[in-house]
Amino acid sequence: MNFLRGVMGGQQSSGVQPSGAETIQKLCDRVASSTLLEDRRDAVRALKSLSKKYRLEVGTQAMDHLLNVLQTDRSDSEIIGYALDTLYNIVSNDMEEAAESEEENQQVQTEDLGVQFTELFMKQENVTLLLSILEEFDFHVRWPGVKLLTTLLKQQGPQVQQIVLVSPMGVSRLMDLLDDSREVIRNDGLLLLQQLTKGNAAIQKIVAFENAFERLLDIITEEGNSDGGIVVEDCLILLQNLLKYNSSNQNFFKEGSYIQRMKPWFEVGDDNSGWSAQKVTNLHLMLQLVRVLVSPVNPPGSTSSCQKVMYQCGLLQQLCIILMATGVPADILTETINTVSEVIRGSQINQDYFASVNAPSNPPRPAIVVLLMSMVNERQPFVLRCAVLYCFQCFLYKNQKGQAEIVATLLPSTIDATSLSAGQMLCGGLFSTDSLSNWCAAVALAHALLENSTQKEQLLRVQLATSIGNPPVSLLQQCTNILSQGSKVQTRVGLLMLLCTWLSNCPIAVTHFLHNASNVPFLTAQISENLGEEEQLVQGLCALLLGICIYYNDSSLENNTKEKLKQLIEKRIGKEIFIEKLVFITKHEYYSKAAQKPQPSFSSPDHMMFDHEFTKLVKELEAVIIKAVYKSSEEDKKEEEVKKSLEQHDNIVSHYKNVIREQDIQIEELKQSVSSLQAKNEQFQTTVSQQLAQIQQHKDQYNILKVQLGKENQHHNTHNSNAQVNGFQPEEVNRLKEEIEELKKQQDLLKGELSEKNVLIQNLSSQAGAQIGQVTGASEEAAELQKDMETLRSQLIVQSSEINRLQTERLELLQKLEANATKTASGDHATEPKNNEHEEKLANLLKELNSTKEELKTVSEEKASLKLELDSARSTAAILQDEKQKLTLEVIESKKEQDDLLILLADQDQKILSLKNKLKELGEQVEDEDDLESGDAGDEDDLDEDGREDDI
Amino acid sequence: MAYAYLFKYIIIGDTGVGKSCLLLQFTDKRFQPVHDLTIGVEFGARMITIDGKQIKLQIWDTAGQESFRSITRSYYRGAAGALLVYDITRRDTFNHLTTWLEDARQHSNSNMVIMLIANKSDLESRREVKKEEGEAFAREHGLIFMETSAKTASNVEEAFINTAKEIYEKIQEGVFDINNEANGIKIGPQHSTPGSPGSHMGGQQAGGGCC
Repeated sequence: MNFLRGVMGGQQSSGVQPSGAETIQKLCDRVASSTLLEDRRDAVRALKSLSKKYRLEVGTQAMDHLLNVLQTDRSDSEIIGYALDTLYNIVSNDMEEAAESEEENQQVQTEDLGVQFTELFMKQENVTLLLSILEEFDFHVRWPGVKLLTTLLKQQGPQVQQIVLVSPMGVSRLMDLLDDSREVIRNDGLLLLQQLTKGNAAIQKIVAFENAFERLLDIITEEGNSDGGIVVEDCLILLQNLLKYNSSNQNFFKEGSYIQRMKPWFEVGDDNSGWSAQKVTNLHLMLQLVRVLVSPVNPPGSTSSCQKVMYQCGLLQQLCIILMATGVPADILTETINTVSEVIRGSQINQDYFASVNAPSNPPRPAIVVLLMSMVNERQPFVLRCAVLYCFQCFLYKNQKGQAEIVATLLPSTIDATSLSAGQMLCGGLFSTDSLSNWCAAVALAHALLENSTQKEQLLRVQLATSIGNPPVSLLQQCTNILSQGSKVQTRVGLLMLLCTWLSNCPIAVTHFLHNASNVPFLTAQISENLGEEEQLVQGLCALLLGICIYYNDSSLENNTKEKLKQLIEKRIGKEIFIEKLVFITKHEYYSKAAQKPQPSFSSPDHMMFDHEFTKLVKELEAVIIKAVYKSSEEDKKEEEVKKSLEQHDNIVSHYKNVIREQDIQIEELKQSVSSLQAKNEQFQTTVSQQLAQIQQHKDQYNILKVQLGKENQHHNTHNSNAQVNGFQPEEVNRLKEEIEELKKQQDLLKGELSEKNVLIQNLSSQAGAQIGQVTGASEEAAELQKDMETLRSQLIVQSSEINRLQTERLELLQKLEANATKTASGDHATEPKNNEHEEKLANLLKELNSTKEELKTVSEEKASLKLELDSARSTAAILQDEKQKLTLEVIESKKEQDDLLILLADQDQKILSLKNKLKELGEQVEDEDDLESGDAGDEDDLDEDGREDDI
Repeated sequence: MAYAYLFKYIIIGDTGVGKSCLLLQFTDKRFQPVHDLTIGVEFGARMITIDGKQIKLQIWDTAGQESFRSITRSYYRGAAGALLVYDITRRDTFNHLTTWLEDARQHSNSNMVIMLIANKSDLESRREVKKEEGEAFAREHGLIFMETSAKTASNVEEAFINTAKEIYEKIQEGVFDINNEANGIKIGPQHSTPGSPGSHMGGQQAGGGCC
């Protein structure tokens, strides 16, 4: 403060009214102490009126009081308005005052003042206060508030931005200014937002979030696009602030379909009605905005998606219309060319579209040709020629198709003599007397060869007709010829860049170049000579070219092998000097400038020396060439050996890879076969268990049979005892009869079951017989079983016949009993002897019954033995199962062997096959029961069964 | 490109809970195991269909770090939906939900639909917060709840779409003032009828100027 006062004092003495400071002091006192609002208001108004003239005094003395007023007198918009106006006047360095101050010294001083007062103002609470005041709708408050905040942002941008960011709703309040119905505030709001968004991505994003794009595009449309006034310009600048280097906002812009809304901006058509300065400015900014979205420095994905949209919505087409229109101002045309360049760069669809654009001339010519005409035309503005070169470069960027088309126009087979072609334009430029044209054409041609070895070889075929009578020369030769003629530096640099691009990574082109015996001596001479500053660039490029000749040399020319060229460098130039010349390129300031961005931009035509893509090539080649030159021949050989051994290793590795691959396949196959075998094995096991279950069933049936037999015996017993104890009664006889009948039935059932059992046992035995040699015991047992069964059966037959006999006897008995009954009615005397007879007969019967009982007992005994035999048969079946399990174990073992020994695969396969056959034998017999019953069993047992049936 | 409605979403929650990964999974259908720390906010967009209507979702993925909190607060007001995310393997991220919710409720419009997202459901072995706890919190505060995995994409679509459904229903019920863009909802270009009251001066132009 004291310092300021000192400065002020000095000024005061030089002519300003002495009362100024005092008046201000008085006013300040009034503002501070007066209790009447009107008094304070008047004082602030007076301060305001003095603030321009006595800026320093008001600033130093009244700042705090004014800030106080802002805080305490919020209710009165008038006094707030005056205070804001005053503050604005203090802080602002606006031109009114700058115009007044004539001395430049003073100008600097006033700027200092603004900065210093801003610093005084800059406290968080003050800015927050100002933000809250902006909510006041009153024009006299809002407008100076906006202006004050804008000025603060201009002078202390980052600080104010931080405060706005942390104050809640800070940004969105300011965004609301765009919706203000009073144009002045809206327009000043635009300026405020411009300052607010400068260099602060976080604020840019919030502003975008608050629908800035929508509102700004609406305003631009409302104002009539490029025909609109400075408001459109302000909107465009703000849009650029929001989008430049802010990929999140770019993405939002694209996703919000706002690119589509840019298209109408460029519908300027052919009307030459007027290109006002404002319109040119607006259009320029519009074009720049397009470029912001598709800039080569953006993330590749974001640029390419915007390029796509620009083609789809017709924006690119619209730009091409401007490109070919007449009457467009040169700088707009230039910027349009630059814009089209970046819209098509690296996007195949857009590049293809661009190739198809024709100029509306008669006959129609491709736009590319028309543009190239301008590039090699000395009379065109320099920036326009640069723009055309950029456009051509972007057209060829990552566009092999385009490269081929351009080179094709130079090839003898496809040359169309009737119309101008791109190739003709380029050749014309290459060999014209204008060094700028030479340079541009050389660089353009180099871009047709970039990363495209096919076109490098194709271009070797190009022949040029020189003067009449002389044989045609190759393009390559012509380039070296011009080089050696010592033309302008620009021309030679251009040609050398073309040659370096052409020869790099293309041994055939190197051979072609070396084939001309004069080329190498020329290069060595150039490099070794001690020349001025200007020539050092050419020397460096010559060194690079020679280096390329070494590095990409396939040593097919005996005189110019890698080795010989290296020796040449060592003898004629010296390795150190050669390297020194080479690295001079990258040290050049033009080099680092060109390396920055793809677009060729030069402050003057003389600075046009390096191409962006070429700088990349140099960076890539420098190191490898230095390495190649420093390396001795032995090292070379070693390296080659290493390469060879590496190749061998590679071969071995690939061989093993193949082996592993085959083995993998084999393992896979084996796995499959193993799994199928396992499945089969499981199948077999289930059939075995099924069989076991069947056997169990049979056993159960057998047991039932046994029980039934026992019951039968009991019946006989009770029947007999009844007969013995109670003598004959008709009911008992009937019951007896029934029981006998039942017995018979049971016996029949028994017989049937027995025969079934028999069959089954026979099956079993025959199965067992068939199963390997070891099973013979089982079959023998089965045979015994069969025999026993046969004896049993015969016994049964005897028994049944006896029972039959018994039955008939019983029938007789019954008849007699009936007769007896009738007789008893006539007289008792007669019955007694008859009864005796009956008793005798009964005794006989009883005996017979006893004998049958005994027989039945033996039968049951035999059945028990039969059961035992069956059990043994079962055990043999179990043994069989065990054997099967062994077999499965063997199978598993064989599987392991398979895994282990790939070489023995074939043998194992056979083994597995044999094993499988074994399994199959087992399986089929087990599975096909039907066959067994009708086949094996049938042969032997048919007769027996028949016999049995007869018996029954 | 034409849509019936446009909804603005924000994704909020502690740092490292997988907010950016959820967005990437939703917009690009891919997962990036190592993701840079989000600075401020990042934008993403996708079109979805609800009830046969095309709905454009514009999503602002915010930085979870405390230092960006004041910046991210600026996004609450203009959003129609918010995904509040926590990490089931870090209890502290769950414990901070109350703070987040208070912040959101304070700065957003009252109708904002908030969906509670329990992310990283693929890391079951490291789980620290039970699903029931998340459900209980959501019930208590009237939020929709969902467990997701940005890694396996499980429930990610559903999370974004269900939030949109909720907003859509609120629109149908007339809860939202769809003509006020500050609510984070915009009617598509083909949707605006000539009779609709334009809320600000750019309204008419917005209808005709697009495409």
